[in-house]
Amino acid sequence: MAGSKLFVRRRDGRIEVRINDYGRSIVRGSFSSVLAAERDPDHEWHVVLSGPIDPSLDHDNPIAMLTRQNETSTNAELAGLTVDEQFLTDAEAWAWLTTLQVALRSTVQTKGLLSDEQLASCDEELLTYVQTLQQFLFQLADCF
Amino acid sequence: MASTKPLRTTSPESDVLVKDAVETQKPWNVIVWNDPVTPMTVVVVIFKRIFGYSNNKCTQLMLAVHHEGRALVWSGARDRAESYCVKLQVAGLQSTIEQDN
Repeated sequence: MAGSKLFVRRRDGRIEVRINDYGRSIVRGSFSSVLAAERDPDHEWHVVLSGPIDPSLDHDNPIAMLTRQNETSTNAELAGLTVDEQFLTDAEAWAWLTTLQVALRSTVQTKGLLSDEQLASCDEELLTYVQTLQQFLFQLADCF
Repeated sequence: MASTKPLRTTSPESDVLVKDAVETQKPWNVIVWNDPVTPMTVVVVIFKRIFGYSNNKCTQLMLAVHHEGRALVWSGARDRAESYCVKLQVAGLQSTIEQDN
């Protein structure tokens, strides 16, 4: 996949998705994990998604927390519904970008990859997953 | 016969109280924290989309996050700060709010 554009903004405003089946399977898995983590308090990513808004307080504003939960789930649901589409609207592409970014950050935080050194020394499969998400995000961001 | 007593009075004490109340309403800051994996262009796109800042300002803020570990990206009323913080977290950036010192 390297060398060619994976996401292309067309003249009609839609974004064309040019990732192959393997890439789609990675994206699909990431979207599913974000949605599952938001709904399941025992999911290993849930703690990342429920981080504090104001760390100086014991409890955050419940309305703000509910808003965050709903918006994260909505983005992950929309991304999941469009994972096999060839063309995305702007809103759908934004849902892809935010959900992939949530998946990337949740992965590195739960695996303790908090520095370049830790990232370089992690196992190959995990490193490939992280680099694939980074590549998708890098190219998708270029469409906005 | 109409009373000559004024309906409302302003005492020096109430003036002092109002002044104090204004002075203690410090703005709330929205902070974005660095992480080692988020592509820089993604951070810029998210700032542009959420705050509507110029490309230059978004790039400057992204570089501040990258080099200093954190950056103040917005400051103002608490409810709006919370709302921006939630939007940043939904977009996958690590963000918190804190009251200005």
